[in-house]
Amino acid sequence: MSNALTFNEDQRDCLQEICNVAMGQAGDSLARLLNVFINLSVPYIRLIKAEEVHQELRSLINAPQVSAVRQAFYSPQGNQGLCGESIVIFSDASFQELAHLMAFEGRELDARAEQELLLDISNVLNGACLNGIAQQLEEQLGYSAPSLIGQHIPVEQILDKEKLTWEHALSIKIGYTLENHAFQCDMLMLMPGAAISHLMSVLDQFLEDF
Amino acid sequence: MPIPLLICDDSKMARKQVQRSLPDGWDVEVTLATNGQEAMEAIRAGKGEMLFLDLTMPVMDGYQVLEAIQREGHKTLTIVISADIQPEAYSRVMALKALDFIKKPVDRVKLSEVLHKYGLV
Repeated sequence: MSNALTFNEDQRDCLQEICNVAMGQAGDSLARLLNVFINLSVPYIRLIKAEEVHQELRSLINAPQVSAVRQAFYSPQGNQGLCGESIVIFSDASFQELAHLMAFEGRELDARAEQELLLDISNVLNGACLNGIAQQLEEQLGYSAPSLIGQHIPVEQILDKEKLTWEHALSIKIGYTLENHAFQCDMLMLMPGAAISHLMSVLDQFLEDF
Repeated sequence: MPIPLLICDDSKMARKQVQRSLPDGWDVEVTLATNGQEAMEAIRAGKGEMLFLDLTMPVMDGYQVLEAIQREGHKTLTIVISADIQPEAYSRVMALKALDFIKKPVDRVKLSEVLHKYGLV
């Protein structure tokens, strides 16, 4: 059983703005990668309990099949600091749009190229978000190498192999629109209760400076 | 007479970050707006001789505000403060007659550099 931790509005707004700045950086990297202009939207953040994650995923991703990439992050302060696992999830339809933009001269992306693209883009998004949080809140973070959870799998299977103990997830909805292609993906940051408590106290300190 | 200064951003934290970065002793009267529509109302009421403007906002975004300012012929001096750091975002707002562009997160140093550049403080 998890204790219900909830952000107050100031904490949520603060974290959302931090992610907004991070997603601006990620958007710029993606724009350079894809050579297009990207219309950004403000990422929408919610803190949810572990029990609610499947329902949240179903409501976020209205698609039968998804692809997902995971990356663990940890703190030199150990379990008392920020730690958890960040998962980037694309609906197959959304990812096809993106793959379509990347494919040139009618050449279709083969499975291997698609996997590379998936890892590249997840890396940009994960890296920007985690670095953004770390830099702006002055926290130190280490990361593991990203790895593929699966391609074209049902949403329900994303968390099946999850070994980390986590009670909460930060759900971050990212929306980019590029050249008439709407592209959405979602990030879930799975975190133990202690890490969420730590994040809250860091946000409070950050807000106190104002 | 204090300068009517309008700060427009949908995030409370971002608005505070701008307020906190204002130069000490700068004689301004600050009005806050949480989206472009509120900003335009404030500008029409004479509360926006200067405007610090975010781009990505609900209801009415920063690009639309810049367009509306031109269309309605206001003399507002606009400095865009945005997380959108794509070179094209910069050229788009400059084409829409923004005075300058500051990358988020804003701080005292960045803001005062820009204000000094245009002799605004």
